[in-house]
Amino acid sequence: MTGFPAYVARVLFTVLFVLVPILGVWTFVTADDYGWWFPQNVSTFGPKIDALFDLILWMVAFTFVLTEGALVWCVYWYSKPRTSKAVFSHGNHKLEMVWTAVPAVLLLVIAFAQMGTWAEIKFTANMGLDENGEPGQYTVEAPMMEIYASQFDWRARYPDRDGNFNGIDVVESPYDIYVPVDTPVVFHLKSRDVLHAFFVPQFRLKQDAVPGMTIPVWFNAQEVGSYDLICAELCGWGHYKMAGRVHVLPKDEYEAWLEGQREALYANGSADLAE
Amino acid sequence: MNPPPSSTESLPLGLAPAGTVHVHHDHHEVGFIRKYIFSTDHKVIGIQFMFTGLVFLVLGGLLAMAIRWQLAYPWTEMPVVGKMLFPETGRVISPEFYTSLFTMHGTVMIFFVIIPLLTGAFGNFLIPLMIGAPDMAFPKLNMFGYWAMAPAMFFLLLGFGAEGGGPAAGWTAYPPLSTVLEAAPGSMSGQTFWLLALTWVGISSMMGAVNYVTTIAKMRAPGMTIFRMPLSIWALLISAILQLFALPVLTAASFMQLFDRVLHTGFFTPPDIIINNASADYSVADPEAASAAGGHPLLWQHLFWFYSHPAVYIMVLPAMGFASDIISVHARKPVFGYKPMVYSMAGIAGLGFIVWGHHMFTSGMNPTVGMVFMVSTVMIALPSAIKVFNWIGTLWGSRIRLTTPMLYAMGFVSMFIIGGLSGIWMAATPVDVYIHDTYIVVAHFHYVVFAGSVFAIFAAIYHWFPKMFGRLMNETIGKIHFFGTFLFTNGVFYMMHQLGVAGLMRRTADPYSYETYAHLQPLNEAISMFAFALFAWQVFFVWNFFHSMFWGKRIGRNPWQANSLEWDTPSPPGHGNFDHQLEVFRGPYEYASPQVEEDYLPQTRKV
Amino acid sequence: MTPMSPTRATLIVAAASLGTLLGCKLEPETPELRYSLSDKVLNDPDGEEYASDSIAQDQLRGALEMLFGTPSNPGFLLTEDMLDEGFDPNFGSDELSEAEWEALIADNSDRFADDIAHIEAGEFDDVRLPREALSLLSYWEETMDEIADLEQALADAEAGGEDEDGDPLDAEGAQADLDEAIAAVKADWPEELRNYYPSLRDSSEMFRTQCIHCHGVEGGGNGPTAEYLKPLPRDYRNGIFKFTSVANKARPTRSDLFRVLARGIYTTSMPSFRRFSDAQLHGLVDYVRLLSIRGRVEILGALDYDIDSGGITMESVLTAYADEWEEWLGAGENVIAYEGDVPAPDDIVPGTNRTMIEHGRELFKDESSANCASCHGTNYRGNGPSSKERDPETGEMVQITDDWGNPIEPRDLTRGIFRFGRRPIDVFRRVHAGINGTPMPAQTTLTDAEGNRLLSDDDLWAITHFVRSLSTHEQVVATQDEEAGH
Repeated sequence: MTGFPAYVARVLFTVLFVLVPILGVWTFVTADDYGWWFPQNVSTFGPKIDALFDLILWMVAFTFVLTEGALVWCVYWYSKPRTSKAVFSHGNHKLEMVWTAVPAVLLLVIAFAQMGTWAEIKFTANMGLDENGEPGQYTVEAPMMEIYASQFDWRARYPDRDGNFNGIDVVESPYDIYVPVDTPVVFHLKSRDVLHAFFVPQFRLKQDAVPGMTIPVWFNAQEVGSYDLICAELCGWGHYKMAGRVHVLPKDEYEAWLEGQREALYANGSADLAE
Repeated sequence: MNPPPSSTESLPLGLAPAGTVHVHHDHHEVGFIRKYIFSTDHKVIGIQFMFTGLVFLVLGGLLAMAIRWQLAYPWTEMPVVGKMLFPETGRVISPEFYTSLFTMHGTVMIFFVIIPLLTGAFGNFLIPLMIGAPDMAFPKLNMFGYWAMAPAMFFLLLGFGAEGGGPAAGWTAYPPLSTVLEAAPGSMSGQTFWLLALTWVGISSMMGAVNYVTTIAKMRAPGMTIFRMPLSIWALLISAILQLFALPVLTAASFMQLFDRVLHTGFFTPPDIIINNASADYSVADPEAASAAGGHPLLWQHLFWFYSHPAVYIMVLPAMGFASDIISVHARKPVFGYKPMVYSMAGIAGLGFIVWGHHMFTSGMNPTVGMVFMVSTVMIALPSAIKVFNWIGTLWGSRIRLTTPMLYAMGFVSMFIIGGLSGIWMAATPVDVYIHDTYIVVAHFHYVVFAGSVFAIFAAIYHWFPKMFGRLMNETIGKIHFFGTFLFTNGVFYMMHQLGVAGLMRRTADPYSYETYAHLQPLNEAISMFAFALFAWQVFFVWNFFHSMFWGKRIGRNPWQANSLEWDTPSPPGHGNFDHQLEVFRGPYEYASPQVEEDYLPQTRKV
Repeated sequence: MTPMSPTRATLIVAAASLGTLLGCKLEPETPELRYSLSDKVLNDPDGEEYASDSIAQDQLRGALEMLFGTPSNPGFLLTEDMLDEGFDPNFGSDELSEAEWEALIADNSDRFADDIAHIEAGEFDDVRLPREALSLLSYWEETMDEIADLEQALADAEAGGEDEDGDPLDAEGAQADLDEAIAAVKADWPEELRNYYPSLRDSSEMFRTQCIHCHGVEGGGNGPTAEYLKPLPRDYRNGIFKFTSVANKARPTRSDLFRVLARGIYTTSMPSFRRFSDAQLHGLVDYVRLLSIRGRVEILGALDYDIDSGGITMESVLTAYADEWEEWLGAGENVIAYEGDVPAPDDIVPGTNRTMIEHGRELFKDESSANCASCHGTNYRGNGPSSKERDPETGEMVQITDDWGNPIEPRDLTRGIFRFGRRPIDVFRRVHAGINGTPMPAQTTLTDAEGNRLLSDDDLWAITHFVRSLSTHEQVVATQDEEAGH
């Protein structure tokens, strides 16, 4: 009935099943060498997210190897031809208690370990606080900028010199978003049409933009550089090309840039004249 | 054997009293159409569901191949499809076509393959046989349940040819993209057809669920107490209850979306938005119009996931039940911890209703609510873990027969471990902020739904095929089929975890023009190669399936030496199923019992 | 299992089918494209004779291919005038200003930073060049092939191989050759990358992957996605571009097109393409210009169709080609710029006692001069009486149309969305020159009986500032108050 010679099938499928934990672990171990792992991490809460990921990874890896290992052992050992019958057992109450209680505790540990970081990222009370927990320059009430998402455009709006987002001299920057380094940046995220999501992998930050809602978001970038802003919620046929770029500048350069933009608003167009 | 009961004809609704059996029927001749097409026989209906499910599996697979082609080689000549649809742009697909590809792939696989195969095909085929009933409680309703899939399929296929192309708002159909006709090409008429298709699938599922619950509650054979029911039946019962409670919400939500689209009710549309230069709030475009949107896009997400998260368990609970039964039969050992298995399934179902919010951690939902959903979601891993431990407990000390169904069932356990464990990352809110909607999510749910449920479906087909057609499927080809399927499945989905950790977003037609993603193309190319191989490898299954149906080895009643009631009937069972009076003396898992010499002890054998 | 069992037969058939499936051609191919003739020209009521003359169409197609090549091999034919002037449009890089070049090199250095570092470190395998940069990629492959050959030669020599005459190969010499080649790559390639400017072929590939699905192979705005977009994608073939900095309906300048590519057109389906390098965007400008000139030459050539003189004549095509080039090269002379500082919104308009915004409000509704309200409406939402016209056939009021025949809505000015940019100079240019191809007129063409401009530049600035202020919160409130009669 088994088709293959019994020993061939036994060895073949044991090898097949054992490949799962071995290759499974190996790909995770070597992924970083190929660059198939976390991108650079530049926000303050980013390392915490990565650490929580790693915490779960270790627990998951342990369980994975344990259960897959036990399964492989069963596939190999108990498929051996024997004349005796199987163990006649309908279960073991104590064992059930153990493997209910232990994972339950571990899972609760995982759940409670997340809460501090979650609150830090999402709770408005924690937005814009600096390392010492003091309110920074930007707050939920007076954010640094507004970001508008629309099909298929990211657009940052910086307030005029009076801090007014409805003023006539608001600075708008399509695609390129400029922020100061080492500053708790709070911004308001809005959508003009459908759902979008603000995702900067290097900040470990993702937030949907919902039409009709103004959602406060914050981050604190620690390294100067330019990072991809990617739309992470299906927003139509052009979803894949809804790109932006967040440029983290030294504080003084950021101030200079913003001032430059405010002045450039009143350019007279002579720069466009043919030479 | 007891004599047959005097008469069952006077009972209403064709309900047979528990335990009664038609020993010899009045052999009323039925024509071909009544017997094979508009049949009320649960076995025929089950097989009908199986055939349509498998046909749609091929369709869904082809859609996946097209997606994989685009991800491996964006904007190159797409074989076949490109030639047919896009000759003028050099046989290169358009981006909106890509969005409708993954929308349709998800829809087809979930609503037309997994749910119909698990609950439609095997639910129908197995429930009466395993509990010792002659048929379903409501045979006509059962037939309507199958034929309600016909309009569903019609509308789904119509969606492909709709003006503007197939629906393209994802299988989750988030508004306003899905509700505003101008928002995407696929949101023109395609989305309406999609909603109609979904509604008909819902009607079909609802009829099935009512039938399953009633049948299991009222038509069990004498002695078949609920704790003597096979785990497959428990799983089907629990998933039917999930359907009964969750489906009305989806149906209501899809009608609301339909009304938003055709009547501009604005349930999900916020005021004053303009999409693709068309006003979504019709009062802006036309001040005379009375309608003013005052809805909220998040409302749909809550309603949709209130159904669709339990639906995930509808898609995996029956698979777990089948795997438990198949493992026990081919391991020649009782299921380890029968009652904990039942309670954990019930626990999954119960918790399944209060975890939907984990799909919305980044949606702008209240973060405090997110915390609550995190705790419930993390805890739902517990019953799943208990089940895995019990499967391994069942295997421990067993006498495994390495048959194809057994390989698939163990493959299911192996793959479900991966799918279950990776879910913990998604439950953890801060981690989800990063990995939400990345390929790690894609890896997770394909491990559960493809490597999990579809493997269990394969196991079930190989296992119950003899009962359906009276012939065995070929073991050698079955093993070859398993070997490649298992290998390539992991080749396709495992490295998606790494893609996700690298931040790659799903539903992105051409990710490589981003600096962050540019280096991921070779990995995606490799994954696509595995995907093509996986698809091609199913040739073995198709061949085995049809060849065995006509030329397979004929077998008797109980080729696997199994205990449960379905093996106590002829293969295939005739109309009315059982040809003798049934009495159930014990649970279905008395393998290796010291009471008898053989290593199995059927539920009906008196010792 | 007997040897003749159906199982074995099944296996063989299954394996054979699998082999066939797997053996299918899985290599991706870059399609070979051809430009087609414009439907619009063929369906033109005046071009009936031309449309029925397939020989003439072949003539025109051939002529266009000679002038512009194909999408897989695009290139301009050089005319004698171009040769005389030493102008070669096949290298758009020649037309960049110093500043643009500097920006381009800085951008390339940034984008290729990783690759340059890999090259300098000798890690050639890690170099990943943009997939659209076909010329660069093939040059890189060539270079790598040479190095691979030299490595092979070295390996042969070290393995004690012999040459044809039986003498041992010179391992040292081979090593020296290899070192020299590697050193050359390390020395030359960083510079090569920093100075990368795409060929027309590279840009055509960019256009194919990024633009074609909306704009179509010929840039006719008729790709597969086009019909679902509102507004429709631009049809380059008329040579009309809406958002330019030039007056007199001139062709756009290169920097106009560059700006559109870099910033996108807000609230349309045209996104920003800044995720590609400056060099690639300049290349796209070159290619769009090629498509636009090709389209115009096609139209002009077809209009010149004369059955008596042998259908399409090369002479008329070449004339059209030269004329169109002149138009493009002369665009820069029409740029609208303002001498001196841009007035501020609160400045008093000379000769009045009103601020710019107050004066603008007057002019906006002044029926004898600017009369913006006739289209944009007295509530500024783009629904003034002239935004609709009576359909001569049905007698119903319908939306006015643009030059491409599509319905067009005047801008809702209260939303603060300005497609070409919201700087005062951008809005000023729209008021000044109008919007090409649409009913939006150039306000400078309004003249009194003596031919003097009705609106001075100061007036235009006043309208500009008023319009810009409409989206600001205070102004909207004031407007609503005004409408409510307060």
